Amino acid sequence: MTERVRGALTVLLSAHRPEPGRRAHILSVLSAVQEAFGYVPTEAVPLIAGTLAVTEADVTGVLSYYPDLHTVPRGRHVVRVCLGEACVANRSTALLESLCHEVGAGLGQTTSDGRLTIERVYCLGNCAVGPTVMVDEQIYGRVGPEELHTILESHP
Amino acid sequence: MTTTLYLSNDTSARAAGADRLAHAWAGERDLQMVRTSSRGAFFLEPLVECDSPAGRLLWPRATLSDLPRIRAGIGGVQLADVPFLAQQQRFVFSRFGQTEPLSLTQYRAHGGWQAADRVAGWSSERIIQEMKASGLRGRGGAAFPVWNKWDIAQRTASDQKYVVANADEGDAGTYCDRMIMEGEPFRLIEGMLICAKAIGADCGYIYCRWEYPAAAETMRAAITEAERAGVLTVEGRPFRLEVFRGAGSYVCGEETALLSSLEGGRGMVKVRPPYPAVAGLYGKPTIVSNVLTFATVTEIVSRGAAWHLALGTERSKGTVALQLGGRIRQPGLIEIPFGATLREVLERFGGGMADGGRFKAVQVGGPLGSLFPESQLDIPLCFDAFNDAGAVLGHGGIVVFDDQTDMVELARHYMTFTAEESCGTCIPCRIGSVRSRELLERIERGQGTPVDLELLADLGETMKATSLCAHGARGPYPVLTAIEHFGPEFRSRLRNIDP
Repeated sequence: MTERVRGALTVLLSAHRPEPGRRAHILSVLSAVQEAFGYVPTEAVPLIAGTLAVTEADVTGVLSYYPDLHTVPRGRHVVRVCLGEACVANRSTALLESLCHEVGAGLGQTTSDGRLTIERVYCLGNCAVGPTVMVDEQIYGRVGPEELHTILESHP
Repeated sequence: MTTTLYLSNDTSARAAGADRLAHAWAGERDLQMVRTSSRGAFFLEPLVECDSPAGRLLWPRATLSDLPRIRAGIGGVQLADVPFLAQQQRFVFSRFGQTEPLSLTQYRAHGGWQAADRVAGWSSERIIQEMKASGLRGRGGAAFPVWNKWDIAQRTASDQKYVVANADEGDAGTYCDRMIMEGEPFRLIEGMLICAKAIGADCGYIYCRWEYPAAAETMRAAITEAERAGVLTVEGRPFRLEVFRGAGSYVCGEETALLSSLEGGRGMVKVRPPYPAVAGLYGKPTIVSNVLTFATVTEIVSRGAAWHLALGTERSKGTVALQLGGRIRQPGLIEIPFGATLREVLERFGGGMADGGRFKAVQVGGPLGSLFPESQLDIPLCFDAFNDAGAVLGHGGIVVFDDQTDMVELARHYMTFTAEESCGTCIPCRIGSVRSRELLERIERGQGTPVDLELLADLGETMKATSLCAHGARGPYPVLTAIEHFGPEFRSRLRNIDP
């Protein structure tokens, strides 16, 4: 963690000190840190625990529990293929496999150029126009291999 | 003359191309675009609508080049000519596709906010009595009588009580809560205010899963709008309502896990009792109900309990919001009274299989629901018929699979999900799901033996009987029903020789 990140983190955490008589809200703090830095650096755990007056184990417990909290930086774009049943019925598993093959990165991995991280998601509620792919915050429907190719090209 | 076009702003409509049309046409002269909620006929999206002397005209699956025709009023179809829409009996979703989600004025003009106004002169007991008379059961999956929960929370003395909307609709194949939050957010707020008045709460939360970014954003904006209009109140006092975003854990849809998550910790299941209605958020009486339940409360108060009681079957009153998906021609949301059979729904609304595929199985009730083969499609869609069949209606998700589906692979997929999403609190779920997944992986690789199928059945029975919550207790159902109905597929993958 650089001094710059440490400084920014300290400022961020100062806004999240628990109110007197209130329990520390670990999940909100971790979500805020992830929003600011794209991930939660594990080196930040002692600082977060200190600010919230909880143990490092408490913070690590929450951090390790939620699938959407990440402890390593991800690619410039996160591509999530939906593996909810409605999308699976419409062959999203094969779509995910062909995507991994095309970009040369496995599930949960980031391409060597740091451009794309490949993830799966269980249901974006877009079941009626699946298969569904989410790139960053953008949700695409009726995505076949060709559409996926075009979508990825629009996210350099 | 300016032409006004209506396009849905719902996530699925946008994903299907509504945004692309809206952006492309944004610079057109004499053209105004209104972004509405969605009718839920997603197979028709992007669906462009325009007013005509004969009422709204619809242009399904519109493309960029359709604009001149739409402007000229050529080729539009009427609502009554779309059987998928015309054959429904919509109440909770009656206004969907017509109004702008964040306009409180339009919501009121179309009959919204009547319920909140009506309960102003009612006592807590009167509201709870109305819920009891309506026969409303929770729509999130557990189907518990709503009045009963409210009554317990109302009778429990406390300095603080909470109302929590469970917007962690995590069952794959379901999206009615997302549609309500994105399309008619004031309906949810109204239902929550009625509950708050009934139990005496002055604070509420909407626990929204992170997979629904647009829903969370719309709810936040709607809360701000309701505050600004001075209607976010209970008994004349401000009602504090906040949206809280989850972080990707499926189990957080279970009420005790949801509350642990809302308190800021790990979202893990707790042993009940005590039930949240007695000791929930921060140990205070809390009503946790899903979004559709609160949305239905609004409708019941505004139409009266008798309306709700008159629809449905003996013990499943009112309407069911079914969400059709998978390999069918007409995926989308329908609202009809409880009691139609699965076959009727698939035939009348599903429109047959997509792209010439042949029917193989249908799953009802999300990743913890059972699989039904063709021979079982005559089951009526209501809580009790499903309960008697050892199945669940769950959140009303219906996913159709075609004959290209490999049932062994699908069963392994389900158990992978159950294992990955187990919160780990109880051993049957934590270990049983991982062992079941391993067995299914072995069978999928062609290395399984008949003993593995017995072990799977045994593990399944243990998980069903001894897990703390529905995740572990229901997790084996898709796998066990897959083996039950498609046994030969599993057995043909086994190694020929016993070890």
